[in-house]
Amino acid sequence: MDTLLFSSRSIWTMLHGIVLGGGGLLAVAAALFAMIAMRTTPPGDAAAAQSRYLAWLLVATSVLLWAAVLAGTYVSFPAYRAAPPEGLTDLSAYPRELIRSNPATAWLHSFAMESKEHMPWIAAMLATGVAFVASRYREQLMHDDKLRRIAVGLLTLTLMLVAGVSFLGVLINKVAPLE
Amino acid sequence: MSTRVPSSGGLPNGAALAAFAAAGVGAFAMGLISLLNATGFLPVPTLYGPAGGVTGRTTLAVLIWLIAWGTLHRQWKDQDLETGGVHAAAIGLTGLGILLALPPVWSLFE
Repeated sequence: MDTLLFSSRSIWTMLHGIVLGGGGLLAVAAALFAMIAMRTTPPGDAAAAQSRYLAWLLVATSVLLWAAVLAGTYVSFPAYRAAPPEGLTDLSAYPRELIRSNPATAWLHSFAMESKEHMPWIAAMLATGVAFVASRYREQLMHDDKLRRIAVGLLTLTLMLVAGVSFLGVLINKVAPLE
Repeated sequence: MSTRVPSSGGLPNGAALAAFAAAGVGAFAMGLISLLNATGFLPVPTLYGPAGGVTGRTTLAVLIWLIAWGTLHRQWKDQDLETGGVHAAAIGLTGLGILLALPPVWSLFE
């Protein structure tokens, strides 16, 4: 009898956490670094090309974060919060109930997952705002110190949020993986 | 909001500031809605049963963000504005939104 190596909900969880969330984390870190590093590029062809790449990177960041948020909320989360049948003692297929059944791990739901329900949406909104500005203003964003400072501030908050919720997701998945 | 003359001859900065300010409004809305819902002051309907109430809360916050963005964009897109107030508002509202979305903060109001 064939045994599937990964269930569909496990694949969705990996897609949500590693491909989309991990990709978004890498992309926002790269965009933040680029935005800081490129401020010294003098106006000209090089700056125009670099600002075009930065705009595309930020658009990709936003797309990845929105995809991670939507897949997490509408695909992985329902599987996580599914209610077990009455009287079931093996809760391994029901992550939320498994976590809540042990006082030592209950915080992974009450703090970690409840934070993960909302924080990533904030990150996606911030990244989208910065991506819009980078796409519309291109080189002007790199050389307008005031605008760039706001963008760097919002991207820094985005990076902190994405890194934080990613870490919480790893902790939850270590204790109660969606398999 | 005071206006200023563009110094570099580029695009007016109003559209950028509208996007930044709206992101702050959206972040704050997300935090405030999660707090009010957790404390029972704002029952938000569930939009997708299997995922629960988070679908209604997040959709409402996204709608507020998009409405704020559209409104501010229409108002500011042709203007060149001072950035200081928007900078403080965007970062402040976002920080406050993050704080209000933290479950330990909800327990302070229960």
